[in-house]
Amino acid sequence: MSGGNIMSFEGCNYFRQRLILSTLSGKTVRIKKIRSKEDDPGLKDFEASFIRLLDKLTNGSNIVVNETGTSILYQPGLLVGGKIEHECNTQRSIGYYLEGLTCLAPFTKKPIHAVLKGVTNDQIDPSVDMIKLSTFPVLKRFLGTDEGLELKIVRRGAAPEGGGEVTFSCPCRQKLRPLQFTDPGKIKRIRGVAWAVRVAPVVTNRIVDSARSVLNKFIPDIYIYTDHYKGSQSGKSPGFGLTLVAETINGAFLCAENSSNPKGSDKGPSVPEDIGKETAKLLLEEIYKGGCVDSTNQSMTALFMILGQQDVSKVQTGPLTPYTIQFLRHVYSFFDVMFKIEPQQVSEEDEDLRTGGEKLILTCVGVGYSNISKAVS
Amino acid sequence: MEEDGNQKKHRKRQAGPKAEKKKAKNKHQQELTPQQRNPKAFAIQHAQKTAKLIRRTQDIKTKKQHIPLVDRTPLEPPPIVIAIVGPPKVGKSTLLQCIVKNFTKQRLANVQGPVTVVSGKTRRLTLMECNNDINSMIDLAKVADLVLLLVDASFGFEMETFEFLNICQVHGFPRIMGVLTHLDAFKDNKQMRKTKKRLKHRFWTEVYQGAKLFYLSGMVNEEYQKTEVHNLCRFISVMKFRPLQWRLTHPYIVVDRIEDITDPETIRQKPKCDRKLSMYGYVRGTHLKNHSMIHLPGCGDYSISDMQSLPDPCPMPDKEKKKTLHIKERLIYAPMSGVGGVIYDKDAVYIDLGGSHSLKQNVEENDVPMNELVASLMNVNNPLDQKMGTSQMTLFSNTAPITEADIEEDSEADDEEGIARVRRSAEFNDAAATNQKQEKQTEDLVFDDSDEEDESFNLFSNSVKNQTVSSSERTENESIGSESGSDSNSDSDDEETSSKKLKLSRTTVDSKASDSSKIVDANVTLSSIGKNVDTTDTLKGLKFDNSNSETEDSDDDIEEEEDDENEEDEDSEEEEDSGEDISDEEEEDEEGNLKWKANLAAAAAESFKKRQTERINYRKLIYGKVEEDKEGEEEDDELGGLFKVLKKKDEKNNPNISANMTDSSKCVPDKLQSWELEEIQDLIRDCFVTGNWDKSEDAKALLEQDDELFGDFEDLETGEIHHGDGEDDVDDDEENDDKEDDENANGEPSVRKKTKAEKTAMERRMEKKKKLKELFDNEYDMKGDNEFYDNWKLANEEQAKLNRAEFENMEDSLRVGYEGFRPGMYVRVELDRLPCELINNFDATYPLILGGQQSVEGNIGYVQTRLKKHRWYKKILKSRNPLIISLGWRRFQSIPLYSIQDHNFRNRLLKYTPQHLHCHACFWGPITPQGTGLLAVESLTGSEPGFRIAATGVVLELDKSMQIVKKLKLTGTPYKIYKKTAFVQGMFNSMLEVTKFEGAKIRTVSGIRGQVKKALKTPEGAFRATFEDKILLSDIVFMRTWYPVEVPQFYATVTSLLLPPAEKAAWVGMKTLGQLKRERSIMAPPKEDSLYKPVERKKRYEPTLKIPKDLQKMLPFKDTPKVLKAKEDPYKRVAVILEPHEAKVNKMMKMVQNLYRHKLKSDKMRMRERVSKHQKEMDRIGVIKARKQKQVKKDIYRALGKLQKKNEKYKKD
Repeated sequence: MSGGNIMSFEGCNYFRQRLILSTLSGKTVRIKKIRSKEDDPGLKDFEASFIRLLDKLTNGSNIVVNETGTSILYQPGLLVGGKIEHECNTQRSIGYYLEGLTCLAPFTKKPIHAVLKGVTNDQIDPSVDMIKLSTFPVLKRFLGTDEGLELKIVRRGAAPEGGGEVTFSCPCRQKLRPLQFTDPGKIKRIRGVAWAVRVAPVVTNRIVDSARSVLNKFIPDIYIYTDHYKGSQSGKSPGFGLTLVAETINGAFLCAENSSNPKGSDKGPSVPEDIGKETAKLLLEEIYKGGCVDSTNQSMTALFMILGQQDVSKVQTGPLTPYTIQFLRHVYSFFDVMFKIEPQQVSEEDEDLRTGGEKLILTCVGVGYSNISKAVS
Repeated sequence: MEEDGNQKKHRKRQAGPKAEKKKAKNKHQQELTPQQRNPKAFAIQHAQKTAKLIRRTQDIKTKKQHIPLVDRTPLEPPPIVIAIVGPPKVGKSTLLQCIVKNFTKQRLANVQGPVTVVSGKTRRLTLMECNNDINSMIDLAKVADLVLLLVDASFGFEMETFEFLNICQVHGFPRIMGVLTHLDAFKDNKQMRKTKKRLKHRFWTEVYQGAKLFYLSGMVNEEYQKTEVHNLCRFISVMKFRPLQWRLTHPYIVVDRIEDITDPETIRQKPKCDRKLSMYGYVRGTHLKNHSMIHLPGCGDYSISDMQSLPDPCPMPDKEKKKTLHIKERLIYAPMSGVGGVIYDKDAVYIDLGGSHSLKQNVEENDVPMNELVASLMNVNNPLDQKMGTSQMTLFSNTAPITEADIEEDSEADDEEGIARVRRSAEFNDAAATNQKQEKQTEDLVFDDSDEEDESFNLFSNSVKNQTVSSSERTENESIGSESGSDSNSDSDDEETSSKKLKLSRTTVDSKASDSSKIVDANVTLSSIGKNVDTTDTLKGLKFDNSNSETEDSDDDIEEEEDDENEEDEDSEEEEDSGEDISDEEEEDEEGNLKWKANLAAAAAESFKKRQTERINYRKLIYGKVEEDKEGEEEDDELGGLFKVLKKKDEKNNPNISANMTDSSKCVPDKLQSWELEEIQDLIRDCFVTGNWDKSEDAKALLEQDDELFGDFEDLETGEIHHGDGEDDVDDDEENDDKEDDENANGEPSVRKKTKAEKTAMERRMEKKKKLKELFDNEYDMKGDNEFYDNWKLANEEQAKLNRAEFENMEDSLRVGYEGFRPGMYVRVELDRLPCELINNFDATYPLILGGQQSVEGNIGYVQTRLKKHRWYKKILKSRNPLIISLGWRRFQSIPLYSIQDHNFRNRLLKYTPQHLHCHACFWGPITPQGTGLLAVESLTGSEPGFRIAATGVVLELDKSMQIVKKLKLTGTPYKIYKKTAFVQGMFNSMLEVTKFEGAKIRTVSGIRGQVKKALKTPEGAFRATFEDKILLSDIVFMRTWYPVEVPQFYATVTSLLLPPAEKAAWVGMKTLGQLKRERSIMAPPKEDSLYKPVERKKRYEPTLKIPKDLQKMLPFKDTPKVLKAKEDPYKRVAVILEPHEAKVNKMMKMVQNLYRHKLKSDKMRMRERVSKHQKEMDRIGVIKARKQKQVKKDIYRALGKLQKKNEKYKKD
């Protein structure tokens, strides 16, 4: 009876989604055929590290991995939270782990204070800057306040070797609020962080100049912070990058980022100007897609929408990413909740406005989820 | 006097100077309020008193405030559940019958199970009688909206009444109305009045002051008086209900009808096989989702295998304006007691002719064969289809023979499609085999009904009608039924007739796992079943109805299989196509980017348009698919020609490859749009504040509007006067303007809303004013002491409005997918793998409830609760004694440990619950949300006389591990003591143990504190310890430690519903040790120490008193101990005979000693002589000396005297 029904999946893709949804829904998950046909079969180190992080975060969870690592059985326990220190594997950046943490953080027994060490910025996952700039405002809407919600970059570590450190803290809640966010409003300012570690500080200025050259045509209110780390704070390998965020008048944040190729990559060293320009274009692309939450946060928003009370939540997004689409499928199989996804109706008056691509309205009814870990007195 | 009548009355002057004067005198002043007229009277006269008053009013106001909740009540609510509760012989059944008769004008003879009646224009009632079993009482308290608590007035309150009230208090307090019966038993009127009053006041203290208590005075013809029942019913039908927390968050169904849909063949072969049951009832509480977890109180946890909504069997009356209900609208629905007329099922219509549904009879009938032929057929162990399965067939000479298994393998997926009405569970594990079984089951059921049961029969014409009625639902059902997506029916005629409706189908990834033959994209599946399937279906139904024997049945099966074979090939192609289509879509999606040609601005614009038009159907993409994209198919053909290029698509579709891709939420577009181009930049120009705004927000437009309103201003620098365009005379003569406006408004007959330009100045001004007023109100009026509260309420109201409006106009079949089955819907729930005892031992008098729950709540963990022993319960509760707990929907037995929290948050184990205090109870049980109430009983049987509810409590915390500790004292004894250091042994067994406790605090019984220092090598387990003072050897040294206690992991659901009817009320779970011992008359082994033994008194030994020498010296002589030397016993001397040499030596020594002694003596003598001589000499010298001194003194005094005399002489002179 314990564990209820078992959900079975195949392949390593969407590994985090499955484990997170399993933890939240209390359903047991079995994943088979993880890279079973590849030369290097089984779980990779970063996935094992993620499992270890989940183990630290929960109490009573049971994880069984077979000998080759191609199959895993995860029986979730209850979320505990509290103080956690985790050495993240450097194959993926901290963002990979942090995304998982943010999804679970509001439902822990004690507020999370996590210290994560590893790669802060790489090209695959959203960086810690991006999470701070774009994920936190979304999370804040569900939590009600941003009191106790913090992400501090203690050390920055670029891709191959890492050496970065961030502290993440998040309050826990009994219930989440429903979200109604269908009008992002217009973009009032663009902010950003240009960072560089173990390279000349002038690199950041070069990035900023090139990014501004693209963005200045749209809006004058642009400020990009330059963030150059030295000495022990700068991690183990050189790198630089840029994170841009566009803030709208209604408090929607659209974020884009790019970082240099890691040391020793096949593509050779990156040019700061290219990074700046490319990031700016990525931001424009993101703005073109639009929505109240940017493409990286779609899945998290959807998750918190269904984990609310039995109320209707609505949010506007741009086109759904494949990750989100898969996430919605998973949500359907774990929680039996379907999203109503409709293109936003544009009124006649606004039809001639040039506001980028088509927007979607995601509507769902919460499942009436409440935090079962938190103690009541 | 006579003239009085004729005299004119005085008439006041209306005009003229007099009238003017009068008017001037009492000129009408503006109405003044009393406060204005007499301000002093309203001034604060007593500051203290006023302060108190204000405080009081505020208190009352705040007390009224509740935490605002979002109103989630459905528009058409489910019937209200009324539980009629009371001890036996109190008149429950009679009351139920009377109420039913009052509403429906029908008399029910034998009521079993819930009865649903229409009570008014907006209300339906489900009446249930509660039998005298604590299980039923607990279950009903959880679902009842209103409780009619019957009390026999001639007897007074009984224990059951109070037990039920306490159960209610724990599980959310429903409305309770007391009903006093047996009032005619009183002979004395005064006595009756007194009893009434006494009972009323007792009832009030239990429920609330002023709770309604009804009196049913007497019986007329075995029924209560009509007017009294009518009054009671009127109270019921206007009653309001309060929302209860648990029921707001959990869906539930009170089952009012149950059918066994297991294959009769399997039941025949294995009578104890797990059953598949369908249960019917209204959804209550909140939305119930398909495939969600449910708990059957009294049975166990299951997940819904399928669920669909049915037409309401007892619908609300039409919304016509009539005062009373039409007789046709006075419906009654009680299938368990055989009332309800026509019952619609998903694929059949049942006309019930009274009591034929009692399932017991059914079973009996099954057992009795009609005649020998049937009996022999029924006893065939290997039915024809199985025989067919084993037979082989060869088509071509050199091929392997084909067996049925092969066919099945191939057509596994297609089998179900033949009969679309059958639905299967979403899990793929039981794929086709079970599906096939199920389909047979249902068919057989229909067949069964028509054949074996004489009284109930299935009318085919009716079933067809039914299908047309609920066709929309049916199609939905079918789509769910054919969930695998493998059965896509692509016959040409299918396409023609197929309903072009979105059909949702549900698959999980595991479905693919089990069925490798399908090449389907990850989760997208295809299922399109045309209407013609329906018709064939019904035809088949006809066949089955007509068929009279099992053999024909199996024939049909074979036919189906053949059909399936034909379709098979096409279907398999279809599957591939369906996969491709999706990939096509994805590709198209990407193509938008790929096709970009950077330098063509026109292309950019075109693509923009394309994007606008080319809308992805996300619902289809994510959750399933309906139609096939014909265009896409054609394209495929064109691309591939004769041979299709599948490789690339395969890569995309093959789940193995896409399943092992990198997992990242970041979505980096393959190719960016060329943002350098002006045209492309223009696409997002208006996303920024610098771009264009829409008209309602555009600053320029707003400014213009403002200009129109407040247009007039004078530029002070230039002296120019600006005027707003349009109306110049706005401020000058408003009145005129108003009139004109009014005229305009009257003149215009058009109803349509005016555009901004059309609005007159007046209207615009009014709008503006309204806005300002609103602003002002927001700023000042709302800002009261309860602004926060009001805002909160407002937000909740808005949310409730949104909740209602969002899916309002949607079709039910679609809506159910988004919301789940909303409360008020009548649904059919299929449950799989239920124990056969549930249906075999089914008793309609026991309520059957499906309690929905979140998936987390199906898990088990440690539940920590705050618990209090009930003050009416006689015994105290002991830790580790099993307890039956009712928590959430469940009733289960578990082993709690009681503990209390110390000030340092340590949970200390308690052996027993405290008498009048709350304590913590921790047990292994289901995860239930915090704040849920719980109830505990020690035994369910009503045999014990006292109050049965042992404890009540509330859930505090849930965890997977629990820290409860027990105090443990380790004792040891010192064996060596040096000042403040002592060596202690007996506390530990080994050095290792000691080292673990190094530095730990220890204490002696006398209270001397100390510390463990270091382990010693010998004896084993001994250690050195230091104390704050010297301890005694007789002291016992102990150490206080805390030992973690494991909570026993025992959890057993109370399966009272599975017991045979006679034993239902007496479920026995795990017994306590005490019970077992009592049963087997085993005495507890007595402790050695507490046994009585013969007393042996040792003789007391008194030690002698020893007084130290120093002390003795100080004592007076009489107190000193006078210890005389014991006389030597002369007789006991032993003669010592020495060796000659020794004697010689001895003699020699003696002589030497004697010599020495003599020498000493003589020396002493000489010394004495010398001393005496010397003394004499000295005496002599002394005498001489004294004489001399005397002489000297004499001389001196003489001289002195002379001198004195001389001096005196001089003085005289």
